[in-house]
Parts: sequence; structure tokens; C-alpha cells
Amino acid sequence: MRAGGGALLEFNEVDVHFYRVAGLAVASEIELPGAIAAAPQAGAPDIAVRSGRVPAALEQASARGATWEIAGDKFLFRVPDVARFLLGGGREITFEAAPGVEAGDISIFLLGTVLGILLHQRGQIVLHASAVRVNDKAVLFCGPSGAGKSTLAAALAQRGFPLVADDFCAVTVSGAGAVMVQPDGRNLKLWAQAIQKLDLAERRGARVRNRLEKFFVEPAAVFTEPLPLGTVYALREARPPHKPAIERPNVVDAALILRRTAYRPALVNRMGQKADYFRAATAIANAAGIFHLTRAFNFESMPELVAQLERHWLDVGLTERAA
Amino acid sequence: MRTVWLASYPKSGNTWLRMLIANLSAKDDKPVDINDLPEGGGIASARVPFDRLLLIDSGLLTHDEIDCLRPRVYEELARGTQDDEYDEVEAPPAVRFVKVHDAYTLTPKAEPLLAGARGAAAAVVIVRDPRDVAPSLANHNGGSVDDAIAFMADEDAAFSAKPGRQHNQLRQQLPAWSGHVASWLDQKDIPVHLVRYEDLQVDTAGTLRAVLAFVGQPASEDEIRRAVAFAGFARLQEQEREKGFREAPRPWAGGNFFRRGTAGGWRDELSAEQVARIETSHAPMMRRLGYELATTAALARAG
Repeated sequence: MRAGGGALLEFNEVDVHFYRVAGLAVASEIELPGAIAAAPQAGAPDIAVRSGRVPAALEQASARGATWEIAGDKFLFRVPDVARFLLGGGREITFEAAPGVEAGDISIFLLGTVLGILLHQRGQIVLHASAVRVNDKAVLFCGPSGAGKSTLAAALAQRGFPLVADDFCAVTVSGAGAVMVQPDGRNLKLWAQAIQKLDLAERRGARVRNRLEKFFVEPAAVFTEPLPLGTVYALREARPPHKPAIERPNVVDAALILRRTAYRPALVNRMGQKADYFRAATAIANAAGIFHLTRAFNFESMPELVAQLERHWLDVGLTERAA
Repeated sequence: MRTVWLASYPKSGNTWLRMLIANLSAKDDKPVDINDLPEGGGIASARVPFDRLLLIDSGLLTHDEIDCLRPRVYEELARGTQDDEYDEVEAPPAVRFVKVHDAYTLTPKAEPLLAGARGAAAAVVIVRDPRDVAPSLANHNGGSVDDAIAFMADEDAAFSAKPGRQHNQLRQQLPAWSGHVASWLDQKDIPVHLVRYEDLQVDTAGTLRAVLAFVGQPASEDEIRRAVAFAGFARLQEQEREKGFREAPRPWAGGNFFRRGTAGGWRDELSAEQVARIETSHAPMMRRLGYELATTAALARAG
């Protein structure tokens, strides 16, 4: 097993790929399509990704679910018939592919759940959100898978608001309570239907997995520096009794929104981050407005939604009216 | 805590039965708000519990890959695992009712999609005359009755299965109306209690009482009387008219979720030819469930 011993973060291979994910330097044995490529680094990366033997189970696991186990600073994650991933100390990721699996099938899970868990391991606040840049702030759109985060970010990028992050969003809180969003302006991942409805065919890249009608889409603009947090919107579908609106929830609900929007809520508790998230929720509530964004769930109303958001940014002072 | 599936083909009275059960514990002598029923974990095909418990983004998996993993989700939920561990765990109910429209199928790995006896202790299977299901399904889908009849005869039919988009829910296989009902009645993994929509209408209290006896959660006569009053079809329609129903299909401008709530409405809604088509497709199962056939052609075939 190569992932043992002292030289954990050193690679002997010639082919190492360098990326920047959520503000961290990543060196990987396999290509990670969709991640932002970085210049080769001489020093140790923040995160090393390599293939190797991964056990089917961890000894003395303190918590486990059907697809994952935690033992000390080790986290085992299994995507059945794709790969097993062993995450160590927030610094190294070892993967063992199932027979006959393509590299693309592994990288897509690496860039999603696996890095998300690793960020949890590093004690970072990770929100299930996409973000765009508005003036010099990051505006976040939160919600579970399927809530429409990427689609809205794509529509806003078309309107000239650069993509800052898609799907998960690493947030840091300084001692003084300043909240910064770490950029992760990777490609968007959009379903064929969204690409067609948003007229993004020209920006369509490779399939996310070759068996899915879901594609990488290069946003019209990306932004790759950390940004202070501007506004947070929790996406909600306009279904009875909720009508389309942008509303400020009460303080209790705002805190609840932020806690629920953790990238993987089940892990917050299991990985001892409850207090961190509570502190972050308070800092975010103080530093930025938190709103419910309730809208019809269809593509036809997207231009109207973008216009509504632009009006709201004027109202809350994120942008200024042209003289 | 025991998990019990409330299993039915769509538009067969599943939600009505859920409303009746929910109103057994109505507080302040007021009907339960139709938009307050637990929903996320309330239907087996919900996407969020899958993503949360397995940590895998279901949006990166094919329908078949998702199906292979779904049994793991139901096992965990039946053991009492909460899909949001962040909050304090509430005291679990003695019986956890979960709505399910999926047929009782096997995954590509040949295990029960709903995890057999590890996923639930029992199933209440609700059936309705397919001739009444068809117009209700047409209203639900915003399509024609003929389309609904064709869907109900299609062995490959499914909800939330279109490629190239993310559906709100996981794929639900609905392998023809007859096949769907047979899959539940003929499986041997868990005990089944059969409820006919028509009986629920004629004797709501008695049918509800029998369901509660089956699941081992008896209610007092007062509670049953109140639930029947609060979740009467007219009361549900009234609530939907007033504030809308969040489980209604998009767009809500179309039909109502609680449409007619009648038995035998097909007599004035379907043409003789449509009735014949339904009966030709489903005669054996209709006879098995006691739905009298109207067309002789179907009778001959069923004989």
C-alpha cells in the first residue's frame, strides 16, 4: 500500500496533474476534468490523490453508513462498482478502481463527494451551493441536489456574473468574523435539457460520465480569487403554500438554512463540526443577508428570475444604480 | 418502530389514506394542513434521503445504478437512521408509514428494490378500478385519457425516467397497471393488506379501522370518526381550493390533485371503446380484485 509511510505527499510518477480546488493545491495521479488546472508545484501539495490499495472496511470504525466508515482521521467511502476511496487526515486521497471502470467515472466522484468530505475533514465549512461574483462579493445559491443551483449559476454567468463555485462552496471565517468564499470556478455540470433551454450548446464540453446525458459546460466567465460573502439565497420551489418571492427568513430559520445547507449534513455531526457550523452560521448571518428565493421551477421564467435578482442586488446595496 | 409501505399505482387513493392516517392525531380539533404532511422522507422515491445517507450525488448515477443502491437506503431508514443527523433525533413513531408508487421489483443485482423484510415490516396495498384511474391519471399528467390508458398498458412505463434532466424524484417503474398490482400482491417478502379505493369510499371508518388493526396501531372510535370527518374528500378539495396542494403536479394551473374522488365515474368519462381497451389489457387482474367487466370481448378473454 503506497499511501503509507512518511512520504505521503510525494509522487514518484512522471505524470502528476496539478489543480486548484476550493483554494487548495491538489496534485493528482489521474486527470480531474472540470477542475481548474494549476502550474506544477515543487513543494508538497495541500491534497495528494493517488491510486493504491484501499481496504473494503476500516477496523474499529466509530461511525458507519452503507457506503462509508470513519475511524480516527481515516474516512472510507465506497461508490459500489466504481471505486473505493480512502481519505486520510484531510491531506491524502487513495482510490482503488473497480474492475473495468473508466478514469472519468472516478474523477467525477473525486471532485464531488470525495473532496467535499476531505474539506469536512480539514475542518472547513463546506456549503452545498453554487456562487457567482456580483461586484466584489460572492453571491451564494444553496439547496440540495436538483434544487437548480448550477442552472441558475449558468444563467447568471451568461448575464456577465462570473462563476465562483459550483455545487460545493468552501467558506472561511476569520477571527474577526469576516467571511470569505474560496473560489472553485470549475466547469458547470448541466443536464442536456438545461443546456438546450439556456442556449448553451456552444459551451458544452464532454459528458460528465459517458453514460449520462449530463455535460461539462464552460461558463462565460469565471473568477478565481477569494471573495467576501455578499448574499446567501436558499433555493425553494414555488409550490403551495410558498409563492414566488425573495423573503428574509427570521433569525432562527436563517440559522437553520445554513445548517441544513452543509455539503453533507450527516457528516457535520459525525465529524465533530457542530460548533464550527454554528459559529459560521452566526458569522454568515451577521456578514451577509440570508434570503429564501422562491421561484417557479421552469426554464421559461429564468430571464424574469435573473432580472428579479438584479433588482434585489440594487435594493440590498450589492450593486449601484447606473448614474 | 415498524415501517409500513403505503403502496399503490398512482391516483389510487394513496394520498387520501395518508391524510386519513395523519388526521388520527389531528391537534386542536382542526384538520391537518394538507401541506404539512411529511413529504421528503414521506415517499420512497425521494431523492434527498438517498444523497444524504449514501453521501453519493444521485445526479451522477444512472437509474439502474441508483436502483442497485436503493435497498441500502431503505434498510437504514427502517433501522431508524435519520437523513439529517444534525438535529436532535425526534422520538420515532411506533409505525412509520411511507408512501411508495414503485412496483415491487428486483434491482439489476436481483435483490428487492425496497429491501424486502429489511426495508419494511408490511405493506398496505391500495388498488382502484383502472377505469377510474385512467381519467384521474390523465388529469394528473395534463394529458389525454387515451395517453393515460396507453401508459397504464405499457410494461416499460415509469415516472421520473426521462434522460437528460434531473427529476425531483428517483425513477419509479410502473410496469403496467396489472403488473404493478401483481408485483405487490404476489411478492412473498412481507405481509400485505389489500385496500380497495371503492371500499374506502363506501365504508371509510371500517376500512381505516382494518388498516390500523393490520399494522398494529389501533385507534379509538373517536379518533377514527374525527379522521374520517377531517379527511373527507370534500374537506380535502376545500383545502386544495383555498391554498393549493404542494404535491400536485406542475403546473398547478392545470387540474386539481383532489379531482372527483368518485368510484364508477368512468361510466360518464370514458367512451365504450376506451373501456374496452382498458378491460382488454387488464381483465384478469380486474376480475381478481372484483371489478366487474363491462365488455363481453374482455370477458371472453378473461375467461
